[in-house]
Amino acid sequence: MDRIRELVNLIHSLAPKDKKLKIMNVCGSHEHTITYSGLRSLMPKNIELVPGPGCPVCVCSESDIINAINLSKRDDVILATYGDMLRVPTKVGSIRSSGGNYLMVSAPHEVLKVALENPQKKVVFFSVGFETTTAPTAALLEMGVPDNLFILTSQKLTPEIMEVLVNDSEVGVDAFVAPGHVSAIVGSKAWEIFPKNYGIPTVVAGFEPENLLLAIVKILYQIKKGKAELENVYKGVVKPEGNRRAQELIYKYFYKTSVNWRGIGYIPDSGLELKEEYGYLDAKKVFNLPEIKEEKVPGCICHEIVLGKSYPTDCKLFKKVCTPRNPKGPCMVSHEGACNIWYRFS
Amino acid sequence: MKVEIGHGSGGRLTRELIEELFLKHFDFSELHTLSDATYLQGFEKIAITTDSYVVQPIFFPGGDIGKLSVSGTVNDLTVSGSIPNYITASFILEEGLDFSELERVVSSMAKTAKEAGVKIVAGDTKVVERGKCDKLYINTTGVGRVVKELSPKLVEPGDLIIVSGSVGEHGISISLAREEFEVETEVKSDCAPLNSLLVPLFKYEGLKFMRDATRGGLATVVVELASCANLGALLYEEKIPVREDVKFICDMLGYDPLYLANEGKAVIVVSKEEADSVLKELRSHPLGKEASVIGEITGQSGVFLKTKVGGLRRLELLDEDPLPRIC
Repeated sequence: MDRIRELVNLIHSLAPKDKKLKIMNVCGSHEHTITYSGLRSLMPKNIELVPGPGCPVCVCSESDIINAINLSKRDDVILATYGDMLRVPTKVGSIRSSGGNYLMVSAPHEVLKVALENPQKKVVFFSVGFETTTAPTAALLEMGVPDNLFILTSQKLTPEIMEVLVNDSEVGVDAFVAPGHVSAIVGSKAWEIFPKNYGIPTVVAGFEPENLLLAIVKILYQIKKGKAELENVYKGVVKPEGNRRAQELIYKYFYKTSVNWRGIGYIPDSGLELKEEYGYLDAKKVFNLPEIKEEKVPGCICHEIVLGKSYPTDCKLFKKVCTPRNPKGPCMVSHEGACNIWYRFS
Repeated sequence: MKVEIGHGSGGRLTRELIEELFLKHFDFSELHTLSDATYLQGFEKIAITTDSYVVQPIFFPGGDIGKLSVSGTVNDLTVSGSIPNYITASFILEEGLDFSELERVVSSMAKTAKEAGVKIVAGDTKVVERGKCDKLYINTTGVGRVVKELSPKLVEPGDLIIVSGSVGEHGISISLAREEFEVETEVKSDCAPLNSLLVPLFKYEGLKFMRDATRGGLATVVVELASCANLGALLYEEKIPVREDVKFICDMLGYDPLYLANEGKAVIVVSKEEADSVLKELRSHPLGKEASVIGEITGQSGVFLKTKVGGLRRLELLDEDPLPRIC
């Protein structure tokens, strides 16, 4: 507790007096810690902690979710996915409200048991998320899967979307807190380009409030000194080179390609699909799933919010027609989406 | 033996089910008249409540649907400032339900009723076709004698908020009993009738409001109370008792223990002056050993949690059942 107070005091003394700073996290779990521990209330007024496109539920494409819903309605299919994917709304409802045979898993290897126990069914694992969930899916494939198990992949890559962020001249992000779990897989080196090429201070952090506050202190020291460096305050878990075995496994089964980010659109090389030779495992191919056109909601500015260009309060739909119970855009979908957080905490 | 459609027909099989199973366990003289309605001793002012129980699975660590159906109704009456006296029990049974399972539930109800000092005095049984319900559903209605009228309207800024024990155990125990997650723990549901713990508090003048923190958890109760009273509240995270294993599972799954269901915990609002005596009284009872003052009622609107790190988090009503986060 004393340590926390010390860090908060340091943040207040280091914060520049004359300008606003926008520090972006790109990780659902960071956002969870920030809101859960009320860290925003401890910040000086001119330091904003903003959530970027780090909420895997929010950025999962509507087309993938609708395909998952439709698969679950088939008599011969059991759809398995993570808990918070079940309530993500689409124009045809959520998996929970409109789906048929679905079940929740907390880790990919659990679907193996489901497939073995239901040999007469086709079990489809809807594999969603960033590098942290891709690695266990790849490990599952490496273990060898029964003939009745298929993967519906909607995997996305974090460093790649962050580069889109900084390439956009309108984005006013002053610093990044890089995600600890993702970094454990990809390595802290993956973020080197941000301070090096774009002059943005970047600190890899873990998920305890104290660790996140320390990352903010480090960022403020860098800004004070006029430097932009890569630092890592989660060294016990994150190594510079990351988890090589996990990286090998991921790229044994998957390849980088252009994928659709809900509310943002297609971004080259920002996601993963199963390689051609594993087509027999790929639910998109096996079930011949169509690409369903995502209709942009008129007035929704989630794409700007996710990229840190606009605030939820700039959106005409915010709090009027777009609410957590009836979200119009992806940022209102989950508790980690920027609009949802603004709705509940402002 | 299995439940058959005929057990709900109103004929011989129904009679056998009532006499050989229900009456065997529900040994209350009022019930044994088997009339259409039961005559009860009246009270000046009665409290009445009803609740339906559909929990799955019907047996879980720390309890079962029968224990829950009696405790839940007893608790609703108790937190309303009344002494629970009578309960009715209606059963919807699925064709094919094992008699042994039904008997376990019924005997658990009888045991809980005895423990709580309430009588089960009327009932009904229906059987639905296989697949039309999941084993069995129970509805219980309870009446009690009002001793002390409690209301959010009595609550004032400066009053203290007490929780009668650690929160989140029922929610976690049900989640794990559904085998949704591969976690082994000893977390048991806290399901229990609370009248022996809470009725002794009726004597305190400063007792203003009580509610059992069931679905929606502790946070939802306090938010609802504040909104009804047109006031606010400030809770202190470090004062809220949560078992270590519950905390661990919550961290792992991204659950918030403040929003998990309890079936044996009450939120109590009491004047500052009497808070110490109330706390002492609670702690002298086995079900209230971990009772704690967790916060206070404030004059401004909104319920806030002072987190362990000193941040402020606004608490809201539970939107939907909690679901584990991806990562």
